[in-house]
Amino acid sequence: MTNRAIAGLATLFVALFLILAARAAYVMVIQGPSIAAMPYNPRHALLDQRRGRILATDGTVLAESVGSKRVYPLGESLAQTLGYLSARYGTSGIEAAYDRALTPADTTGDPAAQWAELLSAFKGDLHRPKGADVVTTIVPSVQNEAWSLLSQHARGAVVALDPRSGAVLALASVPSFDPNRIDSVFPSLIHDSQSPLLDRSLDGLYPPGSTFKIVTAGAALESGTVTMHSTFEDPGHVQIGNFTLHDNEGEATGLQDLTGAFALSSNVDFAGITLKMGVDTFYDYLSKWGIGASLDFQLPTETARVPPKDSLTPGELAQMGFGQGALLVTPMQMALIAATIADNGNEPRPYIVRQIVRDGVAATVTPSGSLSTPISADTAANVKKMMIAVVQRGTGTTAQLPNVQVAGKTGTATNPHGAAHSWFVCFAPADHPRVVVAVVVENAGYGATVAAPIARDVLRVALKAVK
Amino acid sequence: MAPLTLLLRRGITVAVALALSAFILSFSALPALQPGWLPYVLGALAALWILWQPMTVVRDDLIPAMAIVLSALGLALVSRLSPQLAQKQLWWLLVSLILAIGMGQPFTRFRAFAGYKYLWVVGSLLLFVLLLVFGQEINGARLWIRIGAIQFEPIELIKLFIVFFLAAYLAETADVIGNARPWSVRANLKYLGPLFLGWGASMAILVLQHDIGMATLLLATFAALLYVSTRRLDLVIGGIVIFGLAAFWAVHHYPYVATRIAVWNHPFSDALGAGYQSSQAYYALAAGGIFGTGFGLGHPGFIPDVATDYVFAAYAEEFGLIGALAIMTVFLMLVRRMLFVGAEQPDLYAKLLAVGMGATLGFQVFIIIGGVIGVFPLTGITLPFLSYGGSSLVANFLLVSLVWAISSRLCAAPPSPSPSSS
Repeated sequence: MTNRAIAGLATLFVALFLILAARAAYVMVIQGPSIAAMPYNPRHALLDQRRGRILATDGTVLAESVGSKRVYPLGESLAQTLGYLSARYGTSGIEAAYDRALTPADTTGDPAAQWAELLSAFKGDLHRPKGADVVTTIVPSVQNEAWSLLSQHARGAVVALDPRSGAVLALASVPSFDPNRIDSVFPSLIHDSQSPLLDRSLDGLYPPGSTFKIVTAGAALESGTVTMHSTFEDPGHVQIGNFTLHDNEGEATGLQDLTGAFALSSNVDFAGITLKMGVDTFYDYLSKWGIGASLDFQLPTETARVPPKDSLTPGELAQMGFGQGALLVTPMQMALIAATIADNGNEPRPYIVRQIVRDGVAATVTPSGSLSTPISADTAANVKKMMIAVVQRGTGTTAQLPNVQVAGKTGTATNPHGAAHSWFVCFAPADHPRVVVAVVVENAGYGATVAAPIARDVLRVALKAVK
Repeated sequence: MAPLTLLLRRGITVAVALALSAFILSFSALPALQPGWLPYVLGALAALWILWQPMTVVRDDLIPAMAIVLSALGLALVSRLSPQLAQKQLWWLLVSLILAIGMGQPFTRFRAFAGYKYLWVVGSLLLFVLLLVFGQEINGARLWIRIGAIQFEPIELIKLFIVFFLAAYLAETADVIGNARPWSVRANLKYLGPLFLGWGASMAILVLQHDIGMATLLLATFAALLYVSTRRLDLVIGGIVIFGLAAFWAVHHYPYVATRIAVWNHPFSDALGAGYQSSQAYYALAAGGIFGTGFGLGHPGFIPDVATDYVFAAYAEEFGLIGALAIMTVFLMLVRRMLFVGAEQPDLYAKLLAVGMGATLGFQVFIIIGGVIGVFPLTGITLPFLSYGGSSLVANFLLVSLVWAISSRLCAAPPSPSPSSS
């Protein structure tokens, strides 16, 4: 009788251990992958030790893992675009957008891979695959020039790209932060009223000011609203309904043809052109240019703010014609607008990552084809002529370079936050453009005095680097 | 059985156990910390094991053999987790082996223990008092006595003493208790009174020491022995219900217990606070998968107190589900062998002693592994032979040695074919 009870107890232990076995299988195998993927698993940081690098186009290291530390040799330059990597605060920028490529393969939840790893470890091979390297289109000399010039100002952004391919050559945004010390600085960054974490080059929304006259002129010529021979009279101000409009960059420009009105940046003339074109045609060209639509880019970008067409008053429409009113765009958007002129009316598809290199094998991720063709090559050539005039004899003479013809457009964007934003967008050489630069410096005044010299110096360095 | 066959059988068992242990330890960093004379001591112990048993006696040598292989794995694990602790563990293991082999022969006179049944109760109470007076509180529970450099966990000895007492007392009174009608208050009270010492001890541990793990272990052993000796399920269930009510009370009066339960229910909801240790253990288990990361290639170091309470998670990360199932199987085999040793005994006292030891070991393994993998809330007890801890190692090897001694039988007597035959 007693032995029967003992046998019962022995069976009880079989049952208890079966419970353990079932639970172990459930936790380790069935739930395993989802548990392993949880954000606080410290093994993620271990994987990060083998995380791939982010490289400039010439192989210069922009981000790499040294032991358990993620090192960014450029420091504050390009910080928002590269992003950060923090066990506590996660990832941003390219670190976030290309996290899957950068992160080394994890064998958790993959018994076959785990077994293979175990076998190689048994043979003494403890090598574990690294994450893929992400090769960007950033050109270090251009990046350094853009950063060193822009970082002398409080707030602003620079975008440089190759209009032929859409490759981004440099991006700069101030104020910035040191991603090498993200864990210690992050708490103060998120409360900083200057928003150093904001990538102003891709996500900063600004009134474009007179740089937007490129779009207005292009639309007006393409739609036949004006010709290159139309003339305009600017007395310095104009009454539109109950709204009086003043020029803010030049004085009253008097009688001018279209090139003169553009080169001297007459707001009065461009208000008239926009009103003559009409809201439907103007908005039609905005959408052809992709302004107000989300941009197809490898990193998240802010979408331009375009006021709703239906409730627009003539005064508001007139202001949009010279880049004011409720219109807000990003520096990247303005660079693409200039690039459209540079590339004969084709708006290039921008990209910043060109290759993913895994185990020495490079996969090209360059996007193909342009975004759109908002204007014809003839119209683009005419706008280009006017942009050359801006730099030769108009508001943008501070952007002149020796031996290279520069085409550009100034902008002085009035805004509710203080002094006007200083804008300049340009490309060179004018006949076969290789580089487009867009610069905005917040609350710095005239485009010609602050933004144009920065753009000129970035152009000079970029033309040496980009053939 | 011819003496030569007998020696050969013992020798092969010992040799296989030692070879397997050496093989396991060859993967660890242990050679760096072992003294040169260690092989001679182990050789002497092996010789003692084989020769210091009468030639007329057969013992279940697989019981100590399994324990030794498990403890070798434990030493390898501890040395992988903390070389410093491994140094201490090595000494404790040596002491345990000397005690286990050395006591193998004296323990065969275990029937003499029955005469001192109340001595074990007094001894347990004495240890309790020592613990209350000199005990140090670690992690919310008062479990340790420190004498100089040596930390000692009395509960591990109390665990054995309680089994000594219960086996002796139940052997005498099982018939009467078993035959008493459940509704006869007088008959039940008369014999059950002293039994409640066993039950009371677990309650005392629960209330005074907040050690739910050990309290549950003692209660489970008590219930198992009561059931085996009397088959009175009413008493077993009644005891468990009252203990359950007390545990429920403890949950509401000790925040530490309530936290454990909250962590068990939602290990990841406070993953950086109260749930830190538990969630780290889950990450380790998840990293283990089916095959494990390989010995020394996982990262169990993230788990706090990994060498004691959570050694199973560390093991499972590096040896995977396959390794986890293997170790569970070895423990189950060891426990069942001990129970069958009990079944083979001619007298109730010897039966209960072996069964009590086997059940204690089995429940302890179930409680700690179940706590680590989340079958129920974690209670801080050691995983026998694998966890770091001198008291646990010594007590569990004494337990093994005792069952090993009980398993002695004369070669001439034919072995009982199965536990259900008598």
